[in-house]
Amino acid sequence: MSKRRWSLLFAALAVGAFLAPAGFAQAPIKIGVIEPLSGPVAASGNYVRMGAEIARDWINAKGGVNGRKVELVIEDNKSDPKEAASAAEKLIVRDKVPAIMGAWGSSMTLAAMPKLEEYGVPMVVETSSAASVTKRGNPWIFRISPPSEMEALGLEQYVDKLGAKKVDFLAVNTDWGRGSIQAFGDMLKKKGVEVGAAEMMEQSATDMNAQITKIKSTGGDTLFLTTAVEQITLVLKQSQEQRLTRKVITTGGSSSPTQLIKQAGAAAEGSYHIVFFMPWFPEAMPDGKLAKAFVDEWAKRGFPFEGLTEGFRGHDGIATIAEAIKIAGKDEPKAIQAALWKVSFTGVNGPIKFEKDGPAGKESGQSKPSIFVVQIKDGKVALPDFLAKK
Amino acid sequence: MRAGGAVLAALALLTLPFWLTSPYYVHVTIMAGIFTILALSLNLLLGYTGQLSLGHAAFFGIGAYTSALLALKLEWPFWIGLPAAALAAGLAGWAIGRLALKVRGAYFVLVTISFAGVISLVSVNWMELTNGPLGLPGVPAPELAGLSFRTKSAYYYLVLLAAAVAYLVCHRLVHSRLGRAFLALRENEALAESVGVDPVRTLVLAAVVSAALAGVAGSLYAHYTRFVSPEVFLFSYTVTMVIMVVAGGKGTLLGPVVGALLFTVLPEALREAMAWQWQMLAYGVLLVVLVYFLPRGIVPAVSAWRR
Amino acid sequence: MDALLQHLVNGLVLGGTYALLGIGLTLIFGLMNLVNFAHGEFYTLGAYLTFAGLALSGLNFFVALALAIVLGAVAGAACERLLLAPLRGQSIDTTMLVMIGLWIALQNGELLVWGGVAKSIPHPFPTAPFTLGPVSIAPLRVFVVVTALALIVAAWLLIQRTRLGRAMRATFQDRETAALMGVKIGRIHTVTFAFGSALAAAAGALLGPVFLAYPSMGDLASLKAFSVVILGGLGNLPGATLGGLILGVTEELGAGYVSSGYRDAVGFVIIILVLLLRPSGLFARAERIG
Repeated sequence: MSKRRWSLLFAALAVGAFLAPAGFAQAPIKIGVIEPLSGPVAASGNYVRMGAEIARDWINAKGGVNGRKVELVIEDNKSDPKEAASAAEKLIVRDKVPAIMGAWGSSMTLAAMPKLEEYGVPMVVETSSAASVTKRGNPWIFRISPPSEMEALGLEQYVDKLGAKKVDFLAVNTDWGRGSIQAFGDMLKKKGVEVGAAEMMEQSATDMNAQITKIKSTGGDTLFLTTAVEQITLVLKQSQEQRLTRKVITTGGSSSPTQLIKQAGAAAEGSYHIVFFMPWFPEAMPDGKLAKAFVDEWAKRGFPFEGLTEGFRGHDGIATIAEAIKIAGKDEPKAIQAALWKVSFTGVNGPIKFEKDGPAGKESGQSKPSIFVVQIKDGKVALPDFLAKK
Repeated sequence: MRAGGAVLAALALLTLPFWLTSPYYVHVTIMAGIFTILALSLNLLLGYTGQLSLGHAAFFGIGAYTSALLALKLEWPFWIGLPAAALAAGLAGWAIGRLALKVRGAYFVLVTISFAGVISLVSVNWMELTNGPLGLPGVPAPELAGLSFRTKSAYYYLVLLAAAVAYLVCHRLVHSRLGRAFLALRENEALAESVGVDPVRTLVLAAVVSAALAGVAGSLYAHYTRFVSPEVFLFSYTVTMVIMVVAGGKGTLLGPVVGALLFTVLPEALREAMAWQWQMLAYGVLLVVLVYFLPRGIVPAVSAWRR
Repeated sequence: MDALLQHLVNGLVLGGTYALLGIGLTLIFGLMNLVNFAHGEFYTLGAYLTFAGLALSGLNFFVALALAIVLGAVAGAACERLLLAPLRGQSIDTTMLVMIGLWIALQNGELLVWGGVAKSIPHPFPTAPFTLGPVSIAPLRVFVVVTALALIVAAWLLIQRTRLGRAMRATFQDRETAALMGVKIGRIHTVTFAFGSALAAAAGALLGPVFLAYPSMGDLASLKAFSVVILGGLGNLPGATLGGLILGVTEELGAGYVSSGYRDAVGFVIIILVLLLRPSGLFARAERIG
């Protein structure tokens, strides 16, 4: 062939290669993600994002959804409800995402919810724990994380084994902390356990000595702690300094026991933790193989191990949306919403299937996640001592 | 400003929902409008009387909560909620004015910060009234004779009207005798006093009007986002307002408007322009650069340049 | 009674650290009339520099602390030269805005560099607390308080007994006369800002191991520092020290006996009350440095 012909051929091939990437012939499916990527809870928001990215990559490696690549459009809600609402609006209107995962904190999720109804786009809630999220009659909300009440129910079976007679609470002064005190307090009272003090701490507080001193004088034997892992570390250390000797149980699933061991050391010894993922023994999870694969992939990417207890939420959220799109056959918001009710599969946490929650006619979806209790023993995470071999 | 330019701007604003078709952009404009009212209100204190109030988010929040609570608990319509919000915020402004204006300068700044801090803590802890950190969801959109302001275009006009009224109020105030008293106090308090200006009364008046306007903005915010939580008292809102006023040009009437527009659009533009990791860093750097090159603000710089 | 004693000890230890935060700011605020919103960021910088020194370079704990303080001073000087000096004629709001911009940029820069996960800073002190009867106190905290007080005394000596300190005081009292007497005003500004920032960095370096290092740790610290400055009176070092202790104790007692939710309100209410009743601070005889 002449030189000219060769160049034309090359040009055609180049253009062709550019226009037809890797076997995906159509436009990618976009999924919106709203998380707090800056501000005081940036660590948690980023862990969820990392989990979401693993889910995306796994899905694409298997050929995508309905033959199309999945793309995540990630927005930072800066831990501010106003920003969460703006981010939702931008994702829906500008990026035209047919579904969203978010928005971590309950007040951020609540702020974004009117936008979902306004435009008719479903959102999978991966972390928020306030009961109101699924009780407000918003049919576009599907939550895979447990509300505090469900968490409390999950612990109910162990209360007797724990041997708690009088319980004090120390919680972060947010909807999560207060909701936790309410839910666990109600559950404990029903079981005949006495509730002592209920102390609060500001989200950014670093010195909790006053609250600890107060708790010391109540005569209780167990302390329920609900806050982010940094504050848990500080509370444990300061409790040790004040020689507070009682059982400690952390709730909410964000306590990252591995990080506690690293940062609180001996002060964390003996403490119990409610978690929704056990990366230390992934084989014990409902889908052991998936859980182990997730842990391995996380490690391969060099992500910090302590982030796993939150990162899985990102994975399960994206996996849920992808599953719904597969069932719907198209990436159209209303179809995805209908499909979410038909979703039934197993994520890293366990089976995901939505049940109706909230006022009739406008129910939101609420899944029943698996809830686990672990304990820090001899500087390692183990199954709690009150459980006989499972 | 030349009349031709003003007419053009007014026409553009009046017809905005027709040429700005993306609802997301209209959303940004609505937020810019609400912040314009806030910036104008802060400018009264900061720009004209020279008192730096760093607790302004408190008045905003009080307005938002008042309006939301009246609508949710007593089912009063927005048209009563709005003036009630102004009244409640104005009252708070009066209280702060009377208490804080015994001191000046940096001390006044700190009293205002502390006041905002206390109000913020009350909103988080007084669960029975404010529902604490769980916030107040489901604040209804305004309705007038069966017409709901739920749609963006309708709300845009509402905010536009409110912003225009706020601007006019500030304009009248600034060009009145009271306004001249403000300026006199800003330039030289002792001298102003010697010619018969009562500093405390004048400043308190400025505080009341300023707070009432901020309360109006709060009410508009509450009925637009339909969710009020203690985060309205975040210091970052106050910081944003200050940035808008000072970078726009304090002591001018157009400055806060320009500042509000710019600094509402900027974070959203950054959202489009770069990945989430870099947005806030870029915001901080841009702010420093802006102040460095235009220390008196944008509007004074533009006027100087035009001369 | 036991609880009260423990509360008091908690409060004094906390107060010592508040004092350290406050004296740096009172100098800057007092001398330069600058609402320094970035003060908390130098605090954060001190903590992260200590972390970097210990965890990344394996330096000795005390060396890392000292280095963090020195670097904090350097950062402060650089900041003053580059950002503040050119804007010196401008109004207080303009410089304040620059500091706000710096605050946002620094904090988000730290987020980018270190990530949002809090860092634990290792220290050589034993974790078992000292016990004196019903009261417990950790050895690390004792070290922090003692060092803080030592730094405060050193700062006071520098202001009162050295030529540099005299120049600073002169500039504060009467800038023009000081300039006429040969004091280089520009240099004094740089030195003051560097000094104040170094003290903030010192507070961060000391408190980093007690708490944790994370990008937004400076925000609350800034606010507390402002309270302390008000309590003690602008530019008043002993005042700020006492102010810090008072703030610490009242906060602790408030949280312990009134309500833990309203704990931070104590600091705010104090500010409001002091400013209403004694605006020049509880201890100021007149506004002055030293």
